[in-house]
Amino acid sequence: MSRALLWLYTIGGGLGLAAAIALTLEKIAKLTDPTHVPICSLNPVISCGSVMDSAQAAAFGFPNPLIGIAAFAVVVTTGVAGLAGFQPPRWYQVGLAAGTTFGVVFVHWLIASSLYDIHALCPYCLVVWIVTIPLFWYTALATWPVLAPLRKVHSAVLALWYVVIVVLVLIAFWDYWTSLFA
Amino acid sequence: MPSKDRSSAAARRGLSLNVILTAVVVVVATAVIAAVLLAGRPDTAGGSTNETLRPPGSHTLSQGAGDEVTVVEFLDFQCPACASFYTNVTKKLEQDYMGRFTFVPRHFPLLSHPLAVPAARAAEAAGKQGKYAQMYHALYDEYASWALTEDGKSTSDDLARATARFEAFATAAGLDLARFRVDVAAPEVQAIVDQDIADGRELGVDSTPTFFINGEKFQPRGSTAAEVDRELRAKIDAGTTG
Repeated sequence: MSRALLWLYTIGGGLGLAAAIALTLEKIAKLTDPTHVPICSLNPVISCGSVMDSAQAAAFGFPNPLIGIAAFAVVVTTGVAGLAGFQPPRWYQVGLAAGTTFGVVFVHWLIASSLYDIHALCPYCLVVWIVTIPLFWYTALATWPVLAPLRKVHSAVLALWYVVIVVLVLIAFWDYWTSLFA
Repeated sequence: MPSKDRSSAAARRGLSLNVILTAVVVVVATAVIAAVLLAGRPDTAGGSTNETLRPPGSHTLSQGAGDEVTVVEFLDFQCPACASFYTNVTKKLEQDYMGRFTFVPRHFPLLSHPLAVPAARAAEAAGKQGKYAQMYHALYDEYASWALTEDGKSTSDDLARATARFEAFATAAGLDLARFRVDVAAPEVQAIVDQDIADGRELGVDSTPTFFINGEKFQPRGSTAAEVDRELRAKIDAGTTG
């Protein structure tokens, strides 16, 4: 694994971990006090509250951020261990690729839910979206030889990916964004 | 070594291609998005604010005789805060100041409330038979029976249950139910709701309830219903000469 990838694991995984912890703490605060308004609920569009209260926020019967805490911790650990000299065997790398693939599929399902079902954006969730995509993409590039031709345009693919999501977010909340510019 | 030179040259070319493509994607996307956002900016210069606030044909829950204070409320029938404002503030205002101020309710259904648009259509359909006020009051007085889930803990998305309630309100108000059903589904009723939403956005409404007093957005200093009620009454008293 390249050092760049290991730094991505450490920093990206760390951001994801922080967001998952913040979401879990907000969830606990809300369970303790049902009237609690999360600090990330700013208005009808930027609202952790409506996202956290949705059915999709507990896709497997328990709050999603618990998955994030476990999974991002593994990513951070891999990054730090790699920077410290750990050279993972192939099966470990394949496991990471499988894990980040699950993560990226899950995140896109959550994006679709947020945009088209819940109609609200949650800033902590945005952090998870933003870090999960490169974690998946660069792990896949490093793991699967079939993707080798795309290594030459690695960040262009990532940029295009982000642009598509930004455009979908803009379209889904068009009236909100235009009202900001009015 | 030639082979090494080739590979490092290829790496340089690959890197620059990647950097160029990345930059192109980012720059083009930013430019296009900025252009579309700026072009789509609502034109605030054109159009009379008076008509935007209170278009011809809008409903009034209280009609002042002369130049008394006009309160315009952008509301969402399913929004819990609006229902609470109704119970604690506007319903009492209507009773206490009936005929001494003009009160114009406008629709601003939020996307997060799946039954807000059907409720707005029900109110407008009742309005077609001259019973807007009755439906408005029924929707808020009986809020829990259609807007909330059975356990009362969150907003409902049960359209069938809400529709049955709306039709019961219509019957209780003495409406022709067959006509009410036709009107609820009519495009012109949806058009009224859409116009209200468009006007609200043009006026900078981004949450409900939002009040305008004599055309000016009302921003209460207090947050409790009692404080807001006091501020609203003071404003109406100040503008009411009679």
